[in-house]
Amino acid sequence: MTGTTGVVGALGRVNSLVLVTLGLLGLVASLGVRDLASAGVALGACLAFGLLLLPRGTGPAARFLAVVVAVASVAWSTWLLGGHDPTVAAVAGMRIAVLALPGVALAPLVDPSGLADQLGQRLRLPARFVVGVAAALQRFERLGEVWEQASRARRSRGVGPGRGPVGRSRHAASVTFAVLAATLRDATAMSVAMDARGFAAAHARTWAEPAPWTRTDTAVLALGAVAAALPYAVLVVR
Amino acid sequence: MSAPLFLRSTPRAAVRYRTVDLVTVAMLGVAVGVVFWGWTQLYHLLSAGLAVAFPPATGLLGGGWLLGGVLGGLIVRKPGAALLTEVVAASVEALLGADWGFSAIVSGVVQGLGVELVLALFLYRRFGAAVAALAGAAAGACGAVYEWFAYYPDWAWGFRLAYLGFFAASGALLAGLGGAALVRALARAGVLDAFGPGRDLADRAAQG
Repeated sequence: MTGTTGVVGALGRVNSLVLVTLGLLGLVASLGVRDLASAGVALGACLAFGLLLLPRGTGPAARFLAVVVAVASVAWSTWLLGGHDPTVAAVAGMRIAVLALPGVALAPLVDPSGLADQLGQRLRLPARFVVGVAAALQRFERLGEVWEQASRARRSRGVGPGRGPVGRSRHAASVTFAVLAATLRDATAMSVAMDARGFAAAHARTWAEPAPWTRTDTAVLALGAVAAALPYAVLVVR
Repeated sequence: MSAPLFLRSTPRAAVRYRTVDLVTVAMLGVAVGVVFWGWTQLYHLLSAGLAVAFPPATGLLGGGWLLGGVLGGLIVRKPGAALLTEVVAASVEALLGADWGFSAIVSGVVQGLGVELVLALFLYRRFGAAVAALAGAAAGACGAVYEWFAYYPDWAWGFRLAYLGFFAASGALLAGLGGAALVRALARAGVLDAFGPGRDLADRAAQG
């Protein structure tokens, strides 16, 4: 079934719950980064994990620029406000890389419906809420359209964004209001439609899709947990 | 009795989520997540100068990211609505590709809890501008304390406290007062008729 195609690119074959857990393990690992040694080990593990297991050509490479900006800003602020110590600043920057990289790398692989299936069927979160979120996520692409339409409509009426931060903030606020109003109107209409199909009164709920869990899932999750434990291991050993 | 029996909300009915509550929390969360992502560009533009000159002042711009919880709490008016809205919003932002990866989800939990804390303090009965401002401030304070540990553990204490102050003030203003004004405007636009703010507006109109 799985596991037959080898280790390379295994992250492309695990379910979305594992992907999100791995992303959160980045936070766990980052909290164990205290000095250069633990930072180096954690970041090394993170990079090795990604280079080995992430399928080639996942998502736009430009998304990693945001991580570079975050790392630079935290390293700078730590240098400025934390006693002008370059080592402390470098460790702080590496800590943010460990924190952010897994999530940013894995985000394009996460499938929202698959994640909802896992949350409902494996974690047994309240089904009504999970289904509600899954339904909302299906409207997700429409939201991007609404945002686009609202800003284009404003531009064509001559109330587009100005150049300065004030004009842009005002434009952002106005488009935000339009998107929220459209969303709330949709939500009311959709909940009426859902209740008309017996959503509120359902007792035994079935799921359209299964939420499979494979050996690859277990293996990748275990590997991620070990990688996240490495910085703590370094701290204990030293 | 002032109101007919079927209109009076018992504590049980107030806690139980109707379908429209659930769907609204979820869809509002998704919409706010998209809005967060839309704001990121603006944020980078505004924050770059602050981040170089005096990093704690970036907290002044953080309040926008607390809007989800305040909106969810003020609109649905039930325990958990603020937390769920903020968590869904943060998750959507993380999936769209937030700078801080999936830790945005944890930020969402912490900030949503800040809003819940204040709403619970008022027993989920007061949803005016003052309570909204307090809720926004609490969300900012909780968010700042989390960021002390996750992002800025090496800052000197004075700067950490300054960051907390800026973040809380921004939360009170942008998310709190801004959120309360937004909810009033949405109610006037007629999209909150199924919720407390819409009913309040109708009540006031009926009284003349």
